[in-house]
Amino acid sequence: MLTLVKLELEKLLRAKSFYLSFVVLIGFVALMLWGFYTYAARKTGGQAVEQFKYTYESKQYFNGLTFALYSLLFSFTLLLPIFVSMSAGSQIAGEARAGTLRMICTRPISRSSLILSKFLVTAFHAGLLLAFFIALNLIVGLIFVGWGNLELYPGPLNLVDAPGKIMRDDALMRFGYAVLSGTWALLVIAAIALLCSVVFDSPAQAIVMTIAVYLALYIIGRVEFFEHLQPYFFTTDMDFWRDVFKPEIPWQSLWHYACLCGAYTTGLLLVTVVIFERKDIVT
Amino acid sequence: MWVKLVLLLLFCLMILGAAHFAQPRESETAGSAVKVGTSLRLLTWNIGYAELEDDTRAHDKDLPAVADVILRQDPDAVALQEMTGNSQLNILLGLLHGKYRGAIAQQGKGDRFEAVLVKDARAKFFPIALGASYAVGASFQPREDKEEVLLLSAHADAFNAAHRRTYTEALVDWAQARAQSAEVFIAGDFNFELKAANQTNLYTDNLKHDSESYSHILRNFRDLGRGGGDTAINDRRIDYIFGPSAFEQLGRVEVLRDAAVGRMDHWPLLVEVGL
Repeated sequence: MLTLVKLELEKLLRAKSFYLSFVVLIGFVALMLWGFYTYAARKTGGQAVEQFKYTYESKQYFNGLTFALYSLLFSFTLLLPIFVSMSAGSQIAGEARAGTLRMICTRPISRSSLILSKFLVTAFHAGLLLAFFIALNLIVGLIFVGWGNLELYPGPLNLVDAPGKIMRDDALMRFGYAVLSGTWALLVIAAIALLCSVVFDSPAQAIVMTIAVYLALYIIGRVEFFEHLQPYFFTTDMDFWRDVFKPEIPWQSLWHYACLCGAYTTGLLLVTVVIFERKDIVT
Repeated sequence: MWVKLVLLLLFCLMILGAAHFAQPRESETAGSAVKVGTSLRLLTWNIGYAELEDDTRAHDKDLPAVADVILRQDPDAVALQEMTGNSQLNILLGLLHGKYRGAIAQQGKGDRFEAVLVKDARAKFFPIALGASYAVGASFQPREDKEEVLLLSAHADAFNAAHRRTYTEALVDWAQARAQSAEVFIAGDFNFELKAANQTNLYTDNLKHDSESYSHILRNFRDLGRGGGDTAINDRRIDYIFGPSAFEQLGRVEVLRDAAVGRMDHWPLLVEVGL
Protein backbone atom coordinates (compact mmCIF):
# COMPACT_ATOMS: atom_id res chain seq x y z
CA MET A 1 0.00 0.00 0.00
CA LEU A 2 2.81 2.39 0.97
CA THR A 3 4.61 1.68 -2.32
CA LEU A 4 1.42 2.41 -4.19
CA VAL A 5 0.96 5.73 -2.40
CA LYS A 6 4.60 6.60 -3.12
CA LEU A 7 4.16 5.83 -6.82
CA GLU A 8 0.96 7.88 -7.02
CA LEU A 9 2.69 10.73 -5.23
CA GLU A 10 5.49 10.68 -7.78
CA LYS A 11 2.92 10.83 -10.58
CA LEU A 12 1.23 13.77 -8.91
CA LEU A 13 4.49 15.68 -8.53
CA ARG A 14 5.31 15.09 -12.19
CA ALA A 15 1.95 16.38 -13.42
CA LYS A 16 1.86 19.93 -14.82
CA SER A 17 -1.65 20.44 -13.49
CA PHE A 18 -0.30 20.08 -9.95
CA TYR A 19 1.89 23.17 -10.37
CA LEU A 20 -0.74 24.97 -12.41
CA SER A 21 -3.11 24.90 -9.43
CA PHE A 22 -0.55 26.71 -7.28
CA VAL A 23 0.18 29.26 -9.99
CA VAL A 24 -3.52 30.07 -10.38
CA LEU A 25 -3.86 30.49 -6.62
CA ILE A 26 -0.91 32.89 -6.58
CA GLY A 27 -2.63 34.87 -9.35
CA PHE A 28 -5.85 34.93 -7.34
CA VAL A 29 -4.05 36.24 -4.24
CA ALA A 30 -2.45 38.98 -6.33
CA LEU A 31 -5.87 39.98 -7.69
CA MET A 32 -7.38 39.93 -4.20
CA LEU A 33 -4.55 42.07 -2.90
CA TRP A 34 -5.12 44.66 -5.61
CA GLY A 35 -8.89 44.70 -4.96
CA PHE A 36 -8.51 44.81 -1.19
CA TYR A 37 -5.87 47.51 -1.31
CA THR A 38 -7.84 49.86 -3.54
CA TYR A 39 -11.09 49.16 -1.68
CA ALA A 40 -9.46 49.84 1.70
CA ALA A 41 -8.01 53.09 0.35
CA ARG A 42 -11.41 54.19 -0.95
CA LYS A 43 -13.34 53.21 2.16
CA THR A 44 -11.02 54.86 4.64
CA GLY A 45 -10.63 57.94 2.47
CA GLY A 46 -12.50 61.23 2.34
CA GLN A 47 -15.55 60.34 0.25
CA ALA A 48 -16.69 57.46 2.46
CA VAL A 49 -16.26 59.51 5.61
CA GLU A 50 -18.31 62.36 4.12
CA GLN A 51 -21.24 60.15 3.17
CA PHE A 52 -21.59 58.25 6.44
CA LYS A 53 -20.64 59.28 9.93
CA TYR A 54 -19.82 55.88 11.37
CA THR A 55 -18.07 52.87 9.96
CA TYR A 56 -16.16 49.85 11.20
CA GLU A 57 -14.06 49.87 8.06
CA SER A 58 -11.18 51.68 9.65
CA LYS A 59 -7.48 51.23 8.97
CA GLN A 60 -7.44 48.87 11.92
CA TYR A 61 -10.13 46.70 10.29
CA PHE A 62 -8.27 46.35 7.00
CA ASN A 63 -5.40 44.18 8.16
CA GLY A 64 -3.61 41.08 6.95
CA LEU A 65 -5.91 38.70 8.81
CA THR A 66 -9.05 40.28 7.37
CA PHE A 67 -7.44 40.10 3.93
CA ALA A 68 -6.59 36.41 4.38
CA LEU A 69 -10.09 35.61 5.62
CA TYR A 70 -11.84 37.35 2.72
CA SER A 71 -9.49 35.80 0.20
CA LEU A 72 -9.99 32.33 1.66
CA LEU A 73 -13.76 32.54 1.90
CA PHE A 74 -14.15 33.94 -1.62
CA SER A 75 -11.95 31.28 -3.19
CA PHE A 76 -13.05 28.27 -1.21
CA THR A 77 -16.51 28.11 -2.72
CA LEU A 78 -15.65 28.27 -6.38
CA LEU A 79 -11.91 28.08 -6.97
CA LEU A 80 -10.51 25.31 -4.79
CA PRO A 81 -13.21 22.76 -5.73
CA ILE A 82 -12.12 23.08 -9.37
CA PHE A 83 -8.55 22.04 -8.59
CA VAL A 84 -9.66 19.23 -6.32
CA SER A 85 -12.00 17.98 -9.07
CA MET A 86 -9.15 18.18 -11.59
CA SER A 87 -6.82 16.24 -9.35
CA ALA A 88 -9.29 13.50 -8.38
CA GLY A 89 -11.15 13.36 -11.70
CA SER A 90 -8.06 12.51 -13.65
CA GLN A 91 -6.84 9.77 -11.30
CA ILE A 92 -8.50 6.72 -12.93
CA ALA A 93 -9.92 8.25 -16.11
CA GLY A 94 -6.50 9.78 -16.81
CA GLU A 95 -4.88 6.36 -16.65
CA ALA A 96 -7.62 4.99 -18.90
CA ARG A 97 -7.11 7.79 -21.41
CA ALA A 98 -3.32 7.26 -21.36
CA GLY A 99 -3.82 3.52 -21.84
CA THR A 100 -2.00 2.59 -18.63
CA LEU A 101 -4.98 1.45 -16.55
CA ARG A 102 -5.03 -2.12 -17.86
CA MET A 103 -1.33 -2.45 -17.28
CA ILE A 104 -1.64 -1.18 -13.70
CA CYS A 105 -4.47 -3.60 -13.01
CA THR A 106 -2.43 -6.56 -14.19
CA ARG A 107 0.00 -5.94 -11.34
CA PRO A 108 -0.49 -8.00 -8.17
CA ILE A 109 -2.35 -5.27 -6.34
CA SER A 110 -5.99 -5.11 -5.45
CA ARG A 111 -8.15 -2.59 -7.25
CA SER A 112 -9.46 -1.30 -3.94
CA SER A 113 -5.89 -0.55 -2.78
CA LEU A 114 -5.33 1.34 -6.02
CA ILE A 115 -8.43 3.46 -5.45
CA LEU A 116 -7.49 4.10 -1.86
CA SER A 117 -3.93 5.14 -2.71
CA LYS A 118 -5.18 7.47 -5.44
CA PHE A 119 -7.66 9.00 -3.02
CA LEU A 120 -4.98 9.50 -0.36
CA VAL A 121 -2.79 11.31 -2.86
CA THR A 122 -5.72 13.50 -3.91
CA ALA A 123 -6.41 14.28 -0.25
CA PHE A 124 -2.75 15.21 0.18
CA HIS A 125 -3.00 17.52 -2.84
CA ALA A 126 -6.17 19.17 -1.46
CA GLY A 127 -4.58 19.67 1.96
CA LEU A 128 -1.35 21.00 0.49
CA LEU A 129 -3.26 23.37 -1.79
CA LEU A 130 -5.29 24.77 1.08
CA ALA A 131 -2.31 25.03 3.44
CA PHE A 132 -0.29 26.79 0.73
CA PHE A 133 -3.16 29.16 -0.07
CA ILE A 134 -3.74 30.10 3.57
CA ALA A 135 -0.03 30.53 4.27
CA LEU A 136 0.40 32.65 1.13
CA ASN A 137 -2.54 34.87 2.08
CA LEU A 138 -1.23 35.36 5.60
CA ILE A 139 2.29 36.18 4.40
CA VAL A 140 1.05 38.56 1.70
CA GLY A 141 -1.41 40.08 4.18
CA LEU A 142 1.31 40.58 6.77
CA ILE A 143 3.74 42.17 4.32
CA PHE A 144 1.37 44.33 2.27
CA VAL A 145 -1.58 45.07 4.54
CA GLY A 146 -0.26 44.78 8.08
CA TRP A 147 -1.11 42.87 11.23
CA GLY A 148 -3.97 43.19 13.70
CA ASN A 149 -6.89 41.40 15.28
CA LEU A 150 -9.59 39.73 13.24
CA GLU A 151 -12.78 41.77 13.49
CA LEU A 152 -16.03 40.20 12.37
CA TYR A 153 -19.35 41.86 11.60
CA PRO A 154 -22.77 40.48 10.71
CA GLY A 155 -23.70 40.41 7.06
CA PRO A 156 -20.60 40.14 4.90
CA LEU A 157 -19.13 36.62 5.08
CA ASN A 158 -22.19 35.49 7.04
CA LEU A 159 -20.08 34.33 9.97
CA VAL A 160 -21.55 36.11 12.97
CA ASP A 161 -24.89 37.62 13.97
CA ALA A 162 -23.31 40.23 16.24
CA PRO A 163 -20.01 42.09 15.99
CA GLY A 164 -17.14 40.00 17.33
CA LYS A 165 -13.38 39.92 17.51
CA ILE A 166 -10.72 37.21 17.48
CA MET A 167 -7.34 38.23 18.88
CA ARG A 168 -4.38 37.96 16.55
CA ASP A 169 -2.72 34.81 17.95
CA ASP A 170 -6.03 33.01 18.30
CA ALA A 171 -6.97 34.05 14.77
CA LEU A 172 -3.74 32.56 13.43
CA MET A 173 -4.62 29.33 15.18
CA ARG A 174 -8.06 29.46 13.54
CA PHE A 175 -6.43 29.61 10.11
CA GLY A 176 -4.57 26.45 11.12
CA TYR A 177 -7.88 24.80 12.02
CA ALA A 178 -9.26 25.95 8.67
CA VAL A 179 -6.59 23.90 6.85
CA LEU A 180 -7.97 20.78 8.54
CA SER A 181 -11.69 21.58 8.34
CA GLY A 182 -11.41 22.92 4.78
CA THR A 183 -9.48 19.88 3.55
CA TRP A 184 -12.02 17.57 5.19
CA ALA A 185 -14.85 19.41 3.42
CA LEU A 186 -13.05 19.30 0.06
CA LEU A 187 -12.66 15.53 0.34
CA VAL A 188 -16.37 15.17 -0.47
CA ILE A 189 -15.68 16.73 -3.86
CA ALA A 190 -12.58 14.58 -4.24
CA ALA A 191 -14.69 11.46 -3.59
CA ILE A 192 -17.32 12.49 -6.16
CA ALA A 193 -14.62 13.23 -8.72
CA LEU A 194 -12.98 9.86 -8.09
CA LEU A 195 -16.32 8.11 -8.57
CA CYS A 196 -16.84 10.01 -11.82
CA SER A 197 -13.31 9.11 -12.81
CA VAL A 198 -14.18 5.43 -12.47
CA VAL A 199 -17.53 5.74 -14.23
CA PHE A 200 -16.31 7.84 -17.18
CA ASP A 201 -13.30 6.98 -19.29
CA SER A 202 -12.48 10.57 -20.11
CA PRO A 203 -10.88 12.78 -17.40
CA ALA A 204 -12.54 15.87 -18.90
CA GLN A 205 -15.93 14.22 -18.57
CA ALA A 206 -15.22 13.22 -14.97
CA ILE A 207 -14.05 16.70 -14.01
CA VAL A 208 -16.89 18.52 -15.77
CA MET A 209 -19.48 16.18 -14.27
CA THR A 210 -18.10 16.72 -10.75
CA ILE A 211 -18.04 20.49 -11.12
CA ALA A 212 -21.51 20.42 -12.67
CA VAL A 213 -22.96 18.47 -9.73
CA TYR A 214 -21.22 20.72 -7.21
CA LEU A 215 -22.26 23.97 -8.90
CA ALA A 216 -25.81 22.78 -9.54
CA LEU A 217 -26.35 21.97 -5.86
CA TYR A 218 -24.53 25.12 -4.77
CA ILE A 219 -26.70 27.34 -6.97
CA ILE A 220 -29.95 25.52 -6.19
CA GLY A 221 -29.10 25.84 -2.49
CA ARG A 222 -29.05 29.61 -2.87
CA VAL A 223 -32.36 29.88 -4.70
CA GLU A 224 -35.26 30.24 -2.31
CA PHE A 225 -37.52 28.00 -4.44
CA PHE A 226 -35.51 25.05 -3.15
CA GLU A 227 -35.02 26.24 0.39
CA HIS A 228 -36.60 23.10 1.86
CA LEU A 229 -34.16 20.91 -0.12
CA GLN A 230 -31.06 22.78 1.02
CA PRO A 231 -30.44 20.72 4.19
CA TYR A 232 -30.10 17.58 2.05
CA PHE A 233 -27.31 18.90 -0.17
CA PHE A 234 -23.70 18.00 0.59
CA THR A 235 -22.80 21.56 -0.40
CA THR A 236 -24.71 22.78 2.66
CA ASP A 237 -22.88 20.36 4.96
CA MET A 238 -19.50 21.35 3.48
CA ASP A 239 -19.99 24.88 4.77
CA PHE A 240 -19.12 23.71 8.30
CA TRP A 241 -15.44 24.43 7.70
CA ARG A 242 -16.06 28.18 8.13
CA ASP A 243 -17.27 27.71 11.69
CA VAL A 244 -13.66 27.76 12.91
CA PHE A 245 -13.69 31.51 12.23
CA LYS A 246 -16.58 32.22 14.58
CA PRO A 247 -15.52 33.94 17.82
CA GLU A 248 -16.99 30.99 19.74
CA ILE A 249 -16.50 27.84 17.69
CA PRO A 250 -19.75 25.83 17.74
CA TRP A 251 -17.99 22.52 18.31
CA GLN A 252 -21.06 20.33 18.44
CA SER A 253 -22.38 21.60 15.12
CA LEU A 254 -18.87 21.47 13.63
CA TRP A 255 -18.43 17.78 14.56
CA HIS A 256 -21.93 16.99 13.32
CA TYR A 257 -21.29 18.40 9.86
CA ALA A 258 -17.73 17.05 9.78
CA CYS A 259 -19.17 13.57 10.38
CA LEU A 260 -21.77 14.10 7.66
CA CYS A 261 -19.03 15.09 5.22
CA GLY A 262 -17.03 12.06 6.36
CA ALA A 263 -20.06 9.86 5.68
CA TYR A 264 -20.39 11.30 2.17
CA THR A 265 -16.68 10.77 1.52
CA THR A 266 -16.45 7.20 2.84
CA GLY A 267 -19.81 6.21 1.32
CA LEU A 268 -18.80 7.50 -2.11
CA LEU A 269 -15.40 5.82 -1.83
CA LEU A 270 -17.08 2.54 -0.98
CA VAL A 271 -19.31 2.83 -4.05
CA THR A 272 -16.27 3.74 -6.15
CA VAL A 273 -14.37 0.68 -4.96
CA VAL A 274 -17.33 -1.62 -5.63
CA ILE A 275 -17.85 -0.23 -9.16
CA PHE A 276 -14.15 -0.28 -9.99
CA GLU A 277 -13.77 -3.87 -8.83
CA ARG A 278 -16.57 -4.98 -11.17
CA LYS A 279 -15.53 -2.77 -14.06
CA ASP A 280 -14.42 -4.40 -17.28
CA ILE A 281 -11.33 -2.44 -18.22
CA VAL A 282 -11.02 -2.36 -21.97
CA THR A 283 -8.68 0.58 -22.42
CA MET B 1 -11.71 -6.87 0.90
CA TRP B 2 -10.16 -5.13 3.92
CA VAL B 3 -10.40 -1.75 2.19
CA LYS B 4 -14.14 -2.20 1.73
CA LEU B 5 -14.56 -3.29 5.33
CA VAL B 6 -12.57 -0.32 6.63
CA LEU B 7 -14.60 2.07 4.44
CA LEU B 8 -17.86 0.50 5.59
CA LEU B 9 -16.79 0.75 9.21
CA LEU B 10 -15.75 4.39 8.75
CA PHE B 11 -19.03 5.15 6.99
CA CYS B 12 -21.01 3.68 9.91
CA LEU B 13 -18.86 5.57 12.42
CA MET B 14 -19.46 8.83 10.58
CA ILE B 15 -23.21 8.28 10.52
CA LEU B 16 -23.19 7.49 14.24
CA GLY B 17 -21.00 10.54 14.90
CA ALA B 18 -23.36 12.78 12.93
CA ALA B 19 -26.32 11.46 14.92
CA HIS B 20 -24.45 11.84 18.19
CA PHE B 21 -23.47 15.46 17.55
CA ALA B 22 -26.81 16.49 16.00
CA GLN B 23 -28.23 19.63 17.57
CA PRO B 24 -31.38 19.09 19.60
CA ARG B 25 -34.53 20.22 17.82
CA GLU B 26 -35.67 23.78 18.44
CA SER B 27 -38.58 22.66 20.61
CA GLU B 28 -36.17 20.74 22.87
CA THR B 29 -33.79 23.68 23.30
CA ALA B 30 -36.34 26.43 23.71
CA GLY B 31 -36.74 26.64 27.42
CA SER B 32 -39.37 28.67 29.13
CA ALA B 33 -38.68 32.40 29.23
CA VAL B 34 -36.74 33.68 32.22
CA LYS B 35 -39.14 35.11 34.75
CA VAL B 36 -38.40 38.73 35.46
CA GLY B 37 -39.63 40.62 38.49
CA THR B 38 -40.98 44.05 37.63
CA SER B 39 -41.07 43.99 33.89
CA LEU B 40 -41.46 46.27 30.93
CA ARG B 41 -43.28 44.75 27.98
CA LEU B 42 -42.75 46.23 24.53
CA LEU B 43 -44.23 45.31 21.19
CA THR B 44 -43.29 46.39 17.69
CA TRP B 45 -45.31 45.63 14.57
CA ASN B 46 -45.27 46.80 10.99
CA ILE B 47 -48.95 46.41 10.19
CA GLY B 48 -48.59 47.25 6.49
CA TYR B 49 -49.15 44.84 3.63
CA ALA B 50 -46.79 42.95 1.35
CA GLU B 51 -45.46 44.70 -1.74
CA LEU B 52 -47.85 42.97 -4.13
CA GLU B 53 -50.87 44.89 -2.85
CA ASP B 54 -52.16 48.17 -4.36
CA ASP B 55 -51.98 49.93 -1.01
CA THR B 56 -49.25 48.49 1.16
CA ARG B 57 -50.08 50.66 4.16
CA ALA B 58 -52.13 49.38 7.09
CA HIS B 59 -55.79 48.71 6.29
CA ASP B 60 -58.61 49.96 8.53
CA LYS B 61 -60.36 46.61 8.37
CA ASP B 62 -57.39 44.97 10.13
CA LEU B 63 -57.38 47.38 13.07
CA PRO B 64 -59.75 45.30 15.27
CA ALA B 65 -57.35 42.37 14.92
CA VAL B 66 -54.38 44.64 15.74
CA ALA B 67 -56.20 45.99 18.78
CA ASP B 68 -57.09 42.46 19.85
CA VAL B 69 -53.42 41.40 19.79
CA ILE B 70 -52.40 44.47 21.78
CA LEU B 71 -55.10 43.93 24.39
CA ARG B 72 -54.29 40.24 24.73
CA GLN B 73 -50.53 40.77 25.07
CA ASP B 74 -50.96 43.86 27.24
CA PRO B 75 -47.63 45.58 26.43
CA ASP B 76 -46.63 48.76 28.29
CA ALA B 77 -45.82 50.43 24.97
CA VAL B 78 -46.25 49.64 21.30
CA ALA B 79 -44.34 50.80 18.22
CA LEU B 80 -46.33 50.56 14.99
CA GLN B 81 -45.24 51.23 11.43
CA GLU B 82 -46.88 51.88 8.05
CA MET B 83 -50.04 53.53 9.36
CA THR B 84 -51.94 55.84 7.04
CA GLY B 85 -52.23 58.76 9.43
CA ASN B 86 -53.94 60.30 12.44
CA SER B 87 -57.43 59.07 11.62
CA GLN B 88 -56.23 55.47 11.59
CA LEU B 89 -54.47 56.01 14.91
CA ASN B 90 -57.67 57.40 16.42
CA ILE B 91 -59.65 54.38 15.24
CA LEU B 92 -57.08 52.09 16.82
CA LEU B 93 -57.03 54.02 20.09
CA GLY B 94 -60.83 53.75 20.18
CA LEU B 95 -60.64 50.00 19.67
CA LEU B 96 -58.23 49.85 22.60
CA HIS B 97 -61.00 51.27 24.84
CA GLY B 98 -58.93 54.22 26.02
CA LYS B 99 -56.39 51.93 27.63
CA TYR B 100 -53.57 53.46 25.53
CA ARG B 101 -52.59 56.92 24.40
CA GLY B 102 -50.69 57.45 21.22
CA ALA B 103 -49.05 59.71 18.68
CA ILE B 104 -48.12 59.54 15.08
CA ALA B 105 -44.93 60.72 13.40
CA GLN B 106 -44.70 63.78 11.20
CA GLN B 107 -45.02 63.15 7.50
CA GLY B 108 -41.73 62.83 5.69
CA LYS B 109 -41.30 62.05 2.01
CA GLY B 110 -43.36 58.89 2.20
CA ASP B 111 -47.07 58.21 2.55
CA ARG B 112 -46.88 56.13 5.73
CA PHE B 113 -46.34 56.93 9.37
CA GLU B 114 -44.82 55.40 12.46
CA ALA B 115 -46.86 55.49 15.65
CA VAL B 116 -46.26 54.86 19.30
CA LEU B 117 -48.85 53.80 21.90
CA VAL B 118 -48.30 53.90 25.64
CA LYS B 119 -50.43 52.64 28.52
CA ASP B 120 -49.17 55.31 30.93
CA ALA B 121 -51.70 58.19 30.99
CA ARG B 122 -48.93 60.70 31.76
CA ALA B 123 -46.84 59.71 28.73
CA LYS B 124 -45.35 62.49 26.63
CA PHE B 125 -44.97 62.17 22.88
CA PHE B 126 -42.50 63.91 20.63
CA PRO B 127 -41.56 63.90 16.95
CA ILE B 128 -38.02 63.00 15.95
CA ALA B 129 -36.58 64.61 12.83
CA LEU B 130 -33.94 62.47 11.12
CA GLY B 131 -32.93 64.38 8.03
CA ALA B 132 -35.76 64.09 5.53
CA SER B 133 -37.42 61.30 7.52
CA TYR B 134 -39.19 61.22 10.83
CA ALA B 135 -39.68 58.85 13.72
CA VAL B 136 -41.82 59.27 16.79
CA GLY B 137 -41.04 58.76 20.46
CA ALA B 138 -42.78 58.56 23.79
CA SER B 139 -41.45 59.04 27.29
CA PHE B 140 -43.24 57.34 30.14
CA GLN B 141 -42.76 55.86 33.55
CA PRO B 142 -43.78 52.20 33.51
CA ARG B 143 -43.78 51.94 37.33
CA GLU B 144 -43.89 54.65 39.99
CA ASP B 145 -40.47 53.91 41.44
CA LYS B 146 -38.72 53.23 38.14
CA GLU B 147 -36.65 55.38 35.81
CA GLU B 148 -38.22 57.11 32.84
CA VAL B 149 -38.35 55.07 29.63
CA LEU B 150 -38.12 56.39 26.06
CA LEU B 151 -39.53 54.28 23.25
CA LEU B 152 -38.82 55.30 19.67
CA SER B 153 -40.82 53.88 16.79
CA ALA B 154 -38.77 53.83 13.60
CA HIS B 155 -39.05 52.61 10.03
CA ALA B 156 -35.99 52.58 7.79
CA ASP B 157 -36.12 52.69 3.98
CA ALA B 158 -37.16 49.38 2.45
CA PHE B 159 -35.38 49.84 -0.86
CA ASN B 160 -32.09 51.62 -0.27
CA ALA B 161 -29.45 50.31 2.13
CA ALA B 162 -27.47 53.58 2.07
CA HIS B 163 -30.58 55.49 3.15
CA ARG B 164 -31.15 52.96 5.91
CA ARG B 165 -27.62 53.58 7.08
CA THR B 166 -27.89 57.36 7.28
CA TYR B 167 -31.32 57.05 8.94
CA THR B 168 -29.96 54.60 11.53
CA GLU B 169 -26.93 56.77 12.25
CA ALA B 170 -29.15 59.80 12.91
CA LEU B 171 -31.57 57.77 15.02
CA VAL B 172 -28.80 56.28 17.18
CA ASP B 173 -27.22 59.71 17.62
CA TRP B 174 -30.57 61.05 18.80
CA ALA B 175 -31.09 58.11 21.17
CA GLN B 176 -27.56 58.20 22.52
CA ALA B 177 -27.91 61.85 23.45
CA ARG B 178 -30.83 60.92 25.72
CA ALA B 179 -29.51 57.64 27.08
CA GLN B 180 -27.97 59.31 30.13
CA SER B 181 -31.28 60.55 31.50
CA ALA B 182 -33.62 57.71 30.52
CA GLU B 183 -33.74 54.07 29.50
CA VAL B 184 -33.96 54.29 25.71
CA PHE B 185 -35.55 51.60 23.56
CA ILE B 186 -35.64 51.71 19.76
CA ALA B 187 -38.25 49.58 18.06
CA GLY B 188 -39.31 49.22 14.49
CA ASP B 189 -38.82 47.86 11.02
CA PHE B 190 -35.24 48.50 9.92
CA ASN B 191 -35.29 46.30 6.80
CA PHE B 192 -31.71 45.12 7.40
CA GLU B 193 -30.76 42.32 5.03
CA LEU B 194 -28.01 40.61 6.95
CA LYS B 195 -28.20 37.10 5.58
CA ALA B 196 -25.37 36.85 3.09
CA ALA B 197 -26.91 33.66 1.75
CA ASN B 198 -29.79 35.73 0.41
CA GLN B 199 -27.45 37.85 -1.69
CA THR B 200 -26.39 36.69 -5.11
CA ASN B 201 -22.94 38.22 -4.81
CA LEU B 202 -20.33 37.27 -2.24
CA TYR B 203 -19.92 40.84 -1.09
CA THR B 204 -22.28 43.68 -1.90
CA ASP B 205 -22.46 47.32 -0.91
CA ASN B 206 -26.04 46.83 0.26
CA LEU B 207 -25.03 44.02 2.57
CA LYS B 208 -22.17 46.09 3.91
CA HIS B 209 -24.39 49.13 4.54
CA ASP B 210 -26.84 47.01 6.51
CA SER B 211 -23.98 45.40 8.38
CA GLU B 212 -22.59 48.83 9.24
CA SER B 213 -26.03 50.05 10.38
CA TYR B 214 -26.76 47.04 12.55
CA SER B 215 -23.25 46.96 14.03
CA HIS B 216 -23.48 50.68 14.78
CA ILE B 217 -26.68 50.17 16.78
CA LEU B 218 -25.08 47.28 18.66
CA ARG B 219 -22.21 49.51 19.76
CA ASN B 220 -24.61 51.18 22.18
CA PHE B 221 -27.71 49.02 22.32
CA ARG B 222 -28.60 45.40 22.73
CA ASP B 223 -30.71 43.51 20.19
CA LEU B 224 -33.40 42.24 22.54
CA GLY B 225 -35.43 40.30 19.97
CA ARG B 226 -32.59 38.20 18.60
CA GLY B 227 -33.90 35.00 20.12
CA GLY B 228 -37.32 35.44 18.56
CA GLY B 229 -36.35 34.50 15.01
CA ASP B 230 -37.80 35.78 11.75
CA THR B 231 -40.31 38.62 11.94
CA ALA B 232 -41.44 38.81 8.31
CA ILE B 233 -42.26 36.49 5.44
CA ASN B 234 -39.43 34.99 3.37
CA ASP B 235 -37.47 34.17 6.54
CA ARG B 236 -36.50 37.76 7.21
CA ARG B 237 -35.69 39.19 10.61
CA ILE B 238 -36.15 42.87 9.91
CA ASP B 239 -38.13 44.08 12.93
CA TYR B 240 -36.11 44.83 16.01
CA ILE B 241 -36.34 46.09 19.55
CA PHE B 242 -33.05 47.51 20.78
CA GLY B 243 -32.55 48.33 24.45
CA PRO B 244 -29.80 49.57 26.74
CA SER B 245 -26.81 47.22 26.55
CA ALA B 246 -26.58 47.16 30.34
CA PHE B 247 -29.93 45.35 30.60
CA GLU B 248 -29.33 41.87 31.90
CA GLN B 249 -32.79 40.62 32.68
CA LEU B 250 -34.40 39.55 29.44
CA GLY B 251 -37.69 37.74 29.86
CA ARG B 252 -40.12 36.67 27.19
CA VAL B 253 -39.03 37.23 23.60
CA GLU B 254 -41.57 36.10 21.08
CA VAL B 255 -42.59 36.70 17.51
CA LEU B 256 -46.37 36.28 17.43
CA ARG B 257 -46.64 34.35 14.20
CA ASP B 258 -50.38 33.79 14.34
CA ALA B 259 -51.13 37.50 14.71
CA ALA B 260 -50.92 38.72 11.10
CA VAL B 261 -54.21 39.19 9.27
CA GLY B 262 -55.10 40.06 5.68
CA ARG B 263 -51.96 40.41 3.56
CA MET B 264 -49.66 41.59 6.32
CA ASP B 265 -46.06 40.52 5.74
CA HIS B 266 -44.74 41.16 9.26
CA TRP B 267 -45.47 39.60 12.62
CA PRO B 268 -45.39 41.48 15.92
CA LEU B 269 -42.28 41.14 18.06
CA LEU B 270 -42.89 41.12 21.80
CA VAL B 271 -40.06 41.62 24.30
CA GLU B 272 -40.20 41.64 28.08
CA VAL B 273 -37.32 43.05 30.10
CA GLY B 274 -36.78 43.33 33.86
CA LEU B 275 -36.65 46.83 35.22
